[in-house]
Amino acid sequence: MIEFGVIQFLVALLGVVIGIIFGALPGMTATMAVAIFLPLTYAYDLSTALYLLLGLYVGGISGGLVPAILINIPGTPSSITTGFDGHPMAKRGEAVRALRIGITASLIGGLISLAVLAFFTPVLAKLAIQFSAVEKFLIILFAMTVIAALSRGNMTKGIFAGFLGVFISLMGIFPDNQHMRLIPSFLTTELRDGFQLLPVLIGLFAFSQMFSEAESGMKHMVMSENILDGKQTRKFSFKDFKGQIINLFRSGLIGTFIGVLPGVGGSAASLMSYSQCKAWSKHPEKLGTGEVEGLVASEAANNGLTGGALVPLLSLGIPGDSTTAVLVGAFMLQGVQVGPLFISQNPDVWHTILFALLLCNFLMFAVMFGPIKFLANIIKIPMSKLYPAVVLMCVVGAFSTRNGNMVDVITLVVFGILGYIFSKIGLPATTLLIGFILGRDLEKYFIDSLKGSGGDLSVFFSRPIGLGIWALIVGFLVYAFYDNRKAHKAKIA
Amino acid sequence: MSDLFKIDMTYSQSHWIMPKIILGVLIILAIIIFIQEYTKAKKANKPFVNLKGWRFFAEGYDKVKLFGSIGLLFAYIGLMQLIGFIAGSIIIVSLFNILYAEKKDAKSIAICIGISIIETMVLWFIFGYIFEITLP
Repeated sequence: MIEFGVIQFLVALLGVVIGIIFGALPGMTATMAVAIFLPLTYAYDLSTALYLLLGLYVGGISGGLVPAILINIPGTPSSITTGFDGHPMAKRGEAVRALRIGITASLIGGLISLAVLAFFTPVLAKLAIQFSAVEKFLIILFAMTVIAALSRGNMTKGIFAGFLGVFISLMGIFPDNQHMRLIPSFLTTELRDGFQLLPVLIGLFAFSQMFSEAESGMKHMVMSENILDGKQTRKFSFKDFKGQIINLFRSGLIGTFIGVLPGVGGSAASLMSYSQCKAWSKHPEKLGTGEVEGLVASEAANNGLTGGALVPLLSLGIPGDSTTAVLVGAFMLQGVQVGPLFISQNPDVWHTILFALLLCNFLMFAVMFGPIKFLANIIKIPMSKLYPAVVLMCVVGAFSTRNGNMVDVITLVVFGILGYIFSKIGLPATTLLIGFILGRDLEKYFIDSLKGSGGDLSVFFSRPIGLGIWALIVGFLVYAFYDNRKAHKAKIA
Repeated sequence: MSDLFKIDMTYSQSHWIMPKIILGVLIILAIIIFIQEYTKAKKANKPFVNLKGWRFFAEGYDKVKLFGSIGLLFAYIGLMQLIGFIAGSIIIVSLFNILYAEKKDAKSIAICIGISIIETMVLWFIFGYIFEITLP
C-alpha cells in the first residue's frame, strides 16, 4: 500500500518549492534544505516525512539551473556545467528556452534514475541479505575506499577525513560492555552516547556554509543584464530534444551511476556527463557556446543523482551522497533501520518512496516549467535575510534532537566551526559525515566477526563473497592510484 | 606467525579494540599526508613551512560578519539558558539580521527586528505549540 492523500501531496509540493528556492540560491544547497527541515518531520509519520524530504531533495537539485543559466553561477555544485551552455544561450536572448530545456532534461534524468532505483535496489538487497558480519564490515570498508578513490587528486585527505569521522563516531559508550571511552571525564554525562547525528550534520552543512558566506560578506547577487525581460529570440519547443535521446539516456545513466557510488559529490556527475557529451558529440568544438546538447547533458545527469544515491542507502544502508546521508537521519528519527532488510520489512515505505520520488519529479516540472519567468525572481532573495532564519531553525532542530538538550546546540556550533576549518584545509566534510554515520556499524561488524572467530583475523578472508569484495577494494585502490597520478601529472604539465 | 593474525578479545577491554585501530590508521595517514606535502613543496622548490603568503582567510575577508556570526551563536546559547527561547531568539536573530544587512539605517533595523519577531513566533508556534516540543 502506498500512503497518499491531500496532506502528502501538499507536503511534497511544499518540499519541492522550498527545495527549488534553496537550490536556486548559490550558497545554499539541497543538503542544507533537507538538514534544516529534518526536525520539522518529528511530528509526522515516516511516509509523510519522506514526501517532504524527497521534495526538498528533487527541488534542491533542480533549482540550481536557474542562476546557472541566468547569471552563470551554479546554484548548487551539481549544476556546475549547466552554465557552460545555458548562459551563452541566455545571452543570445534564449533564456526562457534554455531554462525550459534544462527543466525538461531534469525531469527525464530524474525518471531514468527512478527506474534504476526501482529495479536495482531489491536485487542488491537480496544479495546483501546473505551477508554475515564479515561481509558487512567489508562492504563498509569498500564504501570508504570508493569515497577515497573518487576524491580525485586528494585521495589521502579523503580517506583521512573518512576515518576521522569513524573515530568521532566511536566516542561515548560501547554498547557491548557498557564502557565509556574517548570522552573527557567532566563530560561523561553530557556525551554519554557521543555526538548526535542531527547537530553534527546541520553544523557541517549549514553553519560552516554560513561562516564561509559571512567571510565573503554575504554579498547580494545581481542580474547584470535584464536577460529575461528582453525579447526572446527563440521559443522552447519539444522538438529541441530531437536527436538528444541518446544524450539524455547516457547522461541520466551517468548521473545515476555516480549517485550510486558513495560519497561522490554532485559536481562529479555533471562534469563527467559533460565530458562524455563532448567526447561523443559530432561537433565538440561548439560545446560551451550555447549548445542544447551540453545543457541537456548537465541537467539530465544531476537529476539522475537523486534516484542513484538512494540505491546503496536502501539496499546496503550506505548513503550515496551528502543529501542521502542526511536522509539517514530521518529514518533513524523514526526508528527504521536502513539496510538489506529494509525493503522486505517495510514494503509499504519502499513503495511510498518510489511513488513520492515520481510525484516530486512531476511536481518539480509543473512548478518550474510554466511560471519560470516568475520563478526566476528567486535569485533576487537576499541571503542576508535568509541566513538568520536558518540559524533559528537549526538551533531549534538541534535542541529538539533529544527533546531539549543544550549540549546538542553546542555540538551544532562546534561542528559548524569544524566544517568551516575543514573546507579551508581541504578535508571533505561529506567524507567525514559518511565515516561518522557508518563508524558504529563498522565497529559492530568488526567485533562481531572477531567474536565468531575468537579473534582470528583470517576470518575476513574465509568466504567467497568476502573475497569478491576484497577484490573490488583492491581494484578501486589501484584505479584510484593511477587516476591520482594522471591527475597529478596533468596538473604539472 | 599465526599469532600475528590474532586479536586479543578480552571482554572488559573490547571497547578499546576499534579506537586503537582507527587511531593507528589516522596516524599512518597523517604521516603519508605529511610526506606528500613535503615532497610537493620540495619539487616546487618552496620551503615546507611557508608562512609568508599563506593565509587562512580569504583576502579582504569580512572580519565583522565572520567573527560576529560565531560570537553571536555562543551568545545565543548563553542567552537562551538565561532568559528563555522566545526573548533570546528575538534578540539574537535581530542582531544576526542587522549584522548581515547591507544598509544599517533606522528603517532597515526596524525591518530586521520585525522579521525576527515574526520568525521566532512562527517557529515557536509550530514547534512549541503544535508539536509540543520542549524549547529552552
